[in-house]
Amino acid sequence: MGGGKGGVGKTFLSANLAYTLSRAGYKVVAVDTDIEGPNLHTWLGVSKPRVSLADYVSGRESRIEHLLLETPHHGLGLLAATHGDLAAAQPEAGRRLEFLRALRELPCDFVFVDCGAGAHPATIDYFLVGDEGLLVLHPEPTSIENTYTFIRAAFYRRMHAAMQKHDVRECVREAMDQRNERGIRSPLDLLEAVRHMDPEEGQRFAATMRSFRPRILVNEVATAEDVKLGFSVRSICRKFFGIEADYVGYINRDQAVRDSVLLRKPLLEVRPEADSAVYLQRIAGKLAEAAGAPR
Amino acid sequence: MKSLSEMTHYEVLEIPSDAAPDEVERAYRMAQATWGEDGLATYSLYEEGETEAIRERVELAFRVLSDPDAKAEYDGGLVAEGTDPLDDLDIDLQFVDSGPAPSVDFVAAEIDTFDDAADETGDWNGARLRRARLRRGIDLEKIAEVTKINPSYLRFIEDDQYADLPARVYVRGFVVAYARCLGLDPERVATGYLEILSEAAPEAARRGRRTQG
Repeated sequence: MGGGKGGVGKTFLSANLAYTLSRAGYKVVAVDTDIEGPNLHTWLGVSKPRVSLADYVSGRESRIEHLLLETPHHGLGLLAATHGDLAAAQPEAGRRLEFLRALRELPCDFVFVDCGAGAHPATIDYFLVGDEGLLVLHPEPTSIENTYTFIRAAFYRRMHAAMQKHDVRECVREAMDQRNERGIRSPLDLLEAVRHMDPEEGQRFAATMRSFRPRILVNEVATAEDVKLGFSVRSICRKFFGIEADYVGYINRDQAVRDSVLLRKPLLEVRPEADSAVYLQRIAGKLAEAAGAPR
Repeated sequence: MKSLSEMTHYEVLEIPSDAAPDEVERAYRMAQATWGEDGLATYSLYEEGETEAIRERVELAFRVLSDPDAKAEYDGGLVAEGTDPLDDLDIDLQFVDSGPAPSVDFVAAEIDTFDDAADETGDWNGARLRRARLRRGIDLEKIAEVTKINPSYLRFIEDDQYADLPARVYVRGFVVAYARCLGLDPERVATGYLEILSEAAPEAARRGRRTQG
């Protein structure tokens, strides 16, 4: 769950989608990777996590499965990110890779990885590790702006990893600099450049581009225009980035959401009849369906 | 993965080449909302003049595809060139490693069907009405404009604020008009809404009758 801007509802959605799926009978783990601003545990009603990702970063704990905590909710585990060493919050590259691999090995049906704000390489890695990348946006320019920055960062990082030849990788790296001297502005420009350099890498680039399919969620919609925003962003992903994004749903602006966080309980438990809870369940249903998860 | 200049009119509007006229129209309206001068979705991404170029392509695409003669001529040209609008670039399938290729599906029609199946059951309360409205991409102001109903009343209906609503006979008329705007069965929706209103707020209904005099 990513999206660049803080406060758009990434953690709300991570916690509540995780809870909704666990209530539907799936085994779910919610993972907080926002060491600089952890909140997920609070949404899930665990006020003081005993262990966290920070213990892994510091080396006090080397096994991810030892970091898993129980929550008050049946079938829903938590990997918290509290009490981090703020002087060196994120794990160094090798350890991060090990952590990402371990996440994919967790014994459960769904893992929700909640990313922090911004587009730091570590944050992008947590986003890219999933089979599905969910992007949360708010119907406001600041969120739109950060969302595109985030997509760009995630896209280039994925492409950089997919390329095999040194000079092509170098070209992708340079393209990340928005004022690069090659004049590459969009992924489509980069595709052209890569094709020109090396046709085989160009093929690989195009294929990887096709597999890069973020899913869009619009949070706090208040008008029909806000609902349409997801379709517009999808359209822009096609025309500007050359990528296919899916619009999986929206959640309305709703006092019920605020009520639920004040109580530190899932929305579905506190206000199951609220519009936002209805929308939330639909999104959860779509994700389960997309994953082909058996009941 | 084509640049704008390589796209067909169908690709510009993101519709299949056999799209019906109303689909063309809706896709056009959606594109206008996306690429319009004050469109939120394009914020920060484009340089000056770029969205204008896209808008021009959208206008051109609509002009051609909404005119049967121009469309027939254009389609003929596509066939002559051997260009399949859905044909992508020369991607070697051996490198495609994940999932089915993205389909060129129709954008705006989804607003109507988006989640529709999930909302088939339940009472016709204000929240359900609002969901049906949002799903169709219609703003409350638009309904007020068409039905000439005071938007505050429409809002009270959606918020289930029974105490603030006028007498039942008026509410019934409002809900019927509202449902009609959304293409819902007006009889069924109004009857359902009034049932809930009677159960939830018999007093409010009485008080409403009094204020309406």
